[in-house]
Amino acid sequence: MKRVLVSLGAVLVLGSALFAATAASKTTKTVADDPNNANLTYWYWAESDAPGANAWLKKEVALYEKSHPKVKVSVVIQSTDTLTSAFTTAAQTKSGPDIATQWATLPTLTPAWGGATVPISDYVPKSEWKNWISTSENMWEGKLWAMPQYLIGIPFVWNKPLFKKAGLNPNVPPKTWAQFLADAKKLKAAGITPFGMGNQDGYGGAWFFSLIGKQNLNSITELKQAMIGGQDFANPKFSGFYQALVDLQKKGYLNSDVASISFGQGFELFGQKKVAMSWGTDGNVAQWESQLGAKNMGVAAIPLWGHGKLATSYDVTQSSDAFITKWSKHPRAAAQFLMFLHKPQALKAWYKATGVFPADKRFPSSSVTDPIAKQLLKLDQSPVSVWPENFVPPQVDQNADLAGGELITSGSASPAKVVKLWKSQLSQWKSQHPDEYNSYKKWVTTG
Amino acid sequence: MAFAFGFPLVQVVRDSFYAGNFSSPIWVGLDNYRGVLSDPAFRQSIFNNMKLLLAVPIMLALGLVIALVLNDRIRGGRHYQSVVFLPYVLPATAIGIAFSFLLQENGVLNRSLRKAHLGGLAYDWLGNSHLAIVSVGGLVIWQQLGFAVVVFTAALLALPPETAEAARIDGAGWWQLQLRVLVPQIRPIIELLTVIQVITVISWVFNYVYVLTAGGPGFSSSVMELYIWRSFSSGADGTAASVAVMLLGMASVLIGLSLWVRKQAVAT
Amino acid sequence: MRSTARHSIVRLLSQHAFLIIICLAALYPLWFIASTALRSNAAYQLNPTGFPSHPTLTSLRNMLFHEPLPRWMWNSFLVTVSSVAVSTFFALLAAYAAVFGRFRGHSFFISTSVALMVVPPVTLLVPMFVFMVNTGMVNHLQSVIVFYTGLLVPFAIFFMTGFFRTIPQELIEAASSEGAGPFTVFRRIVLPLSGAASFTLIVVQAIWVWNELLIALVFLQNESARTLMAGLTQFQGRYVTNEPLVLAGALLSILPVVVLYLSGQRFFVRGLTAGIGK
Repeated sequence: MKRVLVSLGAVLVLGSALFAATAASKTTKTVADDPNNANLTYWYWAESDAPGANAWLKKEVALYEKSHPKVKVSVVIQSTDTLTSAFTTAAQTKSGPDIATQWATLPTLTPAWGGATVPISDYVPKSEWKNWISTSENMWEGKLWAMPQYLIGIPFVWNKPLFKKAGLNPNVPPKTWAQFLADAKKLKAAGITPFGMGNQDGYGGAWFFSLIGKQNLNSITELKQAMIGGQDFANPKFSGFYQALVDLQKKGYLNSDVASISFGQGFELFGQKKVAMSWGTDGNVAQWESQLGAKNMGVAAIPLWGHGKLATSYDVTQSSDAFITKWSKHPRAAAQFLMFLHKPQALKAWYKATGVFPADKRFPSSSVTDPIAKQLLKLDQSPVSVWPENFVPPQVDQNADLAGGELITSGSASPAKVVKLWKSQLSQWKSQHPDEYNSYKKWVTTG
Repeated sequence: MAFAFGFPLVQVVRDSFYAGNFSSPIWVGLDNYRGVLSDPAFRQSIFNNMKLLLAVPIMLALGLVIALVLNDRIRGGRHYQSVVFLPYVLPATAIGIAFSFLLQENGVLNRSLRKAHLGGLAYDWLGNSHLAIVSVGGLVIWQQLGFAVVVFTAALLALPPETAEAARIDGAGWWQLQLRVLVPQIRPIIELLTVIQVITVISWVFNYVYVLTAGGPGFSSSVMELYIWRSFSSGADGTAASVAVMLLGMASVLIGLSLWVRKQAVAT
Repeated sequence: MRSTARHSIVRLLSQHAFLIIICLAALYPLWFIASTALRSNAAYQLNPTGFPSHPTLTSLRNMLFHEPLPRWMWNSFLVTVSSVAVSTFFALLAAYAAVFGRFRGHSFFISTSVALMVVPPVTLLVPMFVFMVNTGMVNHLQSVIVFYTGLLVPFAIFFMTGFFRTIPQELIEAASSEGAGPFTVFRRIVLPLSGAASFTLIVVQAIWVWNELLIALVFLQNESARTLMAGLTQFQGRYVTNEPLVLAGALLSILPVVVLYLSGQRFFVRGLTAGIGK
């Protein structure tokens, strides 16, 4: 019997020794950061904004590896609904990719504040990054923390033949919310679903916040103040838009499955001619153009709903950006690869593959020849642009912005309840992440 | 075992008193618990676990009926049993993904219902906040049913045939035989399985919820495991730990309760 | 009883009908997965319920050759084999010592196992994660192997002790009276007898580990270490508009389990209920 117990103990000891040994053997030896000799892992996301992005990156990686035989880049495509949480969890392990993608401003700055990333301006000369557009979205303490790849606007789109069918002028989009509702009424009467979007995963509602909700604000600073409690989110200028969303649904102007189809599936509706109006990124527009034909669709600014100064602002943003992680052993190699993605060849290939404008001043706008693309470019160059969702702390975005919108479109909560949700999530964020809160507060006042 | 259980159990209680992430913890005392209890998402999560408890009697009753039918020495019984048990061994993740496609507003189930002129039943199974958790419950029942069937069948097989024979000779009808004679005899097994499934529904349903609804819409179908996961993946380790402690407490209470009930039953 | 014959025919028919309906409900999702995986995305979007009239292997091929699925399957396989092997081996020894040994506190040991069986793994998640990060084991397969083994052991011990208790004491006594030491008894008598029960235990544990999601999601985030189930959820988010592709992945994840099940059915059912029925 003692022999059995002894062997039991031996198994335990042996097992733990084995594991310890294998764990120990994985301790890495420090290697020099040679930009031309490295294995890089790149967590990438862009396909949802710009269909064709994944294929483009694959080609660029192949080109880069050819000219840099000792460098290998492994691309891991991220999905939209776990983009932020996957990185947050990885950051806790202090290991993971060398280059990661996050959405601009808060989702990029939050890990920066937490010490998980390094400023890209430390590895890329100013002579290079001063050509990148929209870098102001990711500045902190005088340094640039991430690289933009593209710029997207969010235009309003409509299906011209369907407009005609409902007795509406196919060349006149609704410019105000009242006109929008009137058009929707006529479309519905003609048996056409007026507006299409998917909100099972919450992004449809979040876009509503960014496109319509901001329109009663005079500047984005008001929103920033609301995040840290300097202003009250319950003030209708922040949250009044939920009622507009509720109205849309009640009147039946949204597709019936808005609450059970995902954001990506929602985009398909317009391309499949199942709805008459929608909104999407410049990249979505490029794809819709190939599905509907340029003559059969139009692009315009978002209908005017609010009365603040931001009501006429157009939503243009780099949307997502690339940054180098703090634990990466090859930051110089990573930076060199990222700079490669802004070479003229790469930018041209990007535009060809996705129809989305590269975030680089050196990209010649003469390359934009498609008529609809020209309109998009004009819209994108609007004087005032902001993407409000970028200023919401990721945890609050997930638990209040996304969750709240889902509750609205599924008819399970009133706007008042959703406002309460926002406020409780804001205070939870403050108490769970006091360090993040303080960094945000500092950033609001000093930048 | 001490390593796998003892150390983490102590640690999780300790963690529940801190905020910030684990590399820079900040002592906050009971604030995590207070914050969690006032969070509507958390209250909804507990509520949903409770709602899922309703799935247990349905699953057990259905499983019992199937087992009783199989017990009649029906031809091909073994084959029926293997088919009914198959769902139980399938990966919940893969099955959940399939169901998430089937249950969409314009997915297979609703389309078939509409084709069969039962359109009134074609609800938004995943998008309606009241139905989302019901859909999860349906998935749980679908998968756990086979387990109940197998257990009950074995229990029925182990019964001495004399009692059933005697009842039949006495002129008992089929239903009477089942309900008055057989079922009472396997009561201890039924109780055991109830306890097992209650535990399952409280703390082993993450797969189903994550894949089917991700807790949505909003958090209407969230469960405690999902809440812990959500807190953890937004870096709120202290919150996750406090909910874990509460979950553990709940599970222990339920176990204790069931053991006490069993003791009472044995005593009578 | 009057008209027994007619009654019993009606009863028989309704019983069969009932069972067939149940079986159809049980099998339909599986059929849906298999048939959709074999259709093209275009065909599916047009008619989700249709029969695969033009079956194509494109989705399956994409899954196997253009996605990391094989790597993930391999990871799941390694993790399953390791943790189940260690846990079973450990449980055999521990149960043997507990049932036939005479060391103090062996019943306490067994009841602790039973108690630990009901601890939800999710409650141990955060501290274990922190531990794995601090020892550098996170994102390596060892982390989940260690954690799974720890979680499997209580049930394995419970199961094995239940089985060992059915071995007649006389056999053991006869052997030891002939001078055989406890180890020899274990090897020559107990081990061969526990073939079926061990097999059952192995299959049950293997299915549990193969299907596990939450722990794998948390501990293994590297592409190279990811397990199959975690990878599937990634597909679900990424290819939300390409159902055949996602379900092709689902199908491939189910196949090994189905094969295992079909081959070991009898033992499985018998063993599972032997452990329960006490």
